[in-house]
Amino acid sequence: MALLHARDLTKNYGSVRALDAVTFEIDEGITGLLGSNGAGKTTSLKIFMGLIQPDGGSAEVLGQDPRVSPEFRARIGYSPEHDCLPAGVSAAEFLAYMAEVSGLPRTPARLRASDMLRHVGLFEERYRPIGTYSTGMKQRVKLAQALVHDPLLAFLDEPTAGLDPIGRREMLELIRRVGRDFGISIVISTHLMGDVERACDSVVVLDAGRLLRTGAVSGLTEETETLEVDLVEGAPALLDALAARGLTARLDGSRLTLERVTGEDYDVIRDAIVASEALLYRLAPARLALADVFSAPAVDPDEKAGEPA
Amino acid sequence: MTTGPAEIFDLGYRGYEGQRTSRWRRRLAIWRDGVRISLGLGRGAGAKFASWLLIGLALVPMVVLVVISAFLSPAEEASEDFELPSYADYYDWALVPLTLFAAVVAPLLLCPDRRDGVLSLYAARPITATDYVGSRWAAFLTVSALAAWLPVAVLFTWNGLDAPSIGSWLGDNWDVVPRSLAAAAAVVVPLTTLSLLAASFAKRRAYAAVATLAVVLVGSAVGGIGEENFDGSVADVISLVGLPDVTLDTVRWIFSDELGDQQRAGWVSGLWLAGVTIVLAVWLLQRTRQLVRE
Repeated sequence: MALLHARDLTKNYGSVRALDAVTFEIDEGITGLLGSNGAGKTTSLKIFMGLIQPDGGSAEVLGQDPRVSPEFRARIGYSPEHDCLPAGVSAAEFLAYMAEVSGLPRTPARLRASDMLRHVGLFEERYRPIGTYSTGMKQRVKLAQALVHDPLLAFLDEPTAGLDPIGRREMLELIRRVGRDFGISIVISTHLMGDVERACDSVVVLDAGRLLRTGAVSGLTEETETLEVDLVEGAPALLDALAARGLTARLDGSRLTLERVTGEDYDVIRDAIVASEALLYRLAPARLALADVFSAPAVDPDEKAGEPA
Repeated sequence: MTTGPAEIFDLGYRGYEGQRTSRWRRRLAIWRDGVRISLGLGRGAGAKFASWLLIGLALVPMVVLVVISAFLSPAEEASEDFELPSYADYYDWALVPLTLFAAVVAPLLLCPDRRDGVLSLYAARPITATDYVGSRWAAFLTVSALAAWLPVAVLFTWNGLDAPSIGSWLGDNWDVVPRSLAAAAAVVVPLTTLSLLAASFAKRRAYAAVATLAVVLVGSAVGGIGEENFDGSVADVISLVGLPDVTLDTVRWIFSDELGDQQRAGWVSGLWLAGVTIVLAVWLLQRTRQLVRE
């Protein structure tokens, strides 16, 4: 079921076109809104939350036009990229207050605040002032406040910003858990392709205000006909053995890359490895990386309403 | 008795399936938070200090005067020498701590939200910018109005208790209650609106406090200079920029007390004060909408 529709969404800031007739849908699950700075991600989020009006086209979030009433935001969560937490208040107090402002009665708001802090791993620290938290803890509080009122859909703007590699991995795992176990659909706005590849089911790729690609992440990172053979040792010998069998490979360090490999070629490669006594580490078809999406041409305007994300 | 091995049951995530509140309840949550901030409740001693000191400065002198009057009233000669201030006159003094209260405490309601980026979270909630700033303003107005009205209420209560017949005294003076409420509103509505407007332009509380005091003091000085150097209606018009003087004139008009030196009618001061307040309120609303969109 599509939770969000953008139809010919256009937004200008003066002479700068931030969004150029962008059309896409976002379904349940975890979706990445991917693009570099100035791609139109934040503008899209602001339109979806009803904070700014599009100059053209329309948006529909949870079946409602965001311009009509703020009531739909009772089922929307949002975690901005920048700092948004008061330093002198405890996380428990702040979350309970945010839950109340989002439409939960006082007692359930307090209960859910504690519960949500337990889910993000801050239960023991919940009465400490937020100002004393580390960057990673603050990111978790930001996530918790976006989820405390049990939204159907949460927008997370650069949720891994400022985190070290371990913190980033933990945050992405947490987001995956929210999407998988909590049943809350997530839209991650990010410029990090790795985050999308790790956490998202589908992706909407924007570039300079235009829609570049939309679809399942697995579809965009599908296997290719290129075969990668990683070796512990014996790469030159294997290169020669393959050449003797009529296969051309490219040697790059300890990796051999073969283009346009067919099913029959696998038997020949296996025999070459045995004959050359090379020590095999990994043999697998290469996958497209999301980075390749940016080098591909943009979506044809006539097809842009096609496959939902 | 045999006991089995301990088991831990993780209930996992549970969605919220209960009733969701109306928009008024959400506004009430912001109002309650605003009252707590205004009084420093749930915060450290430092946060409470300024609020309670300035409220105390508005209230305590009246309590002291009433206590002195209570001690002197049995001795008729002494009590004749000692006179309690009129309801309107007390604002000549109370306006100072109330102005300081507005200048110092109002920034606490807006500046941290803006500085810490919390405004963007309000923007993502099921409320509008008007709900947010209206609830904050209402919270600050509630606390300020109580601080402005309580001293008059203390005086009113004592006057009633000190009267030979409290029943007939209440019959003669019942109108003081609505007048005192109107006077408290005339004092705090413009002050709270002005100070919140100043706060909406500053991320640092000190800047907002200085801006509020500057508007009040500079306006007062210009008004005073105008009154001294010009005559008649010109002086009256220039003196309108002095917010404290206009406020006090309005209060005197509300209590039907004698007005100050100028020839301007009391209702003109009241009308001008209301007009300025409406302009400030509209400006505050526009400013908050702009901040939320950012």
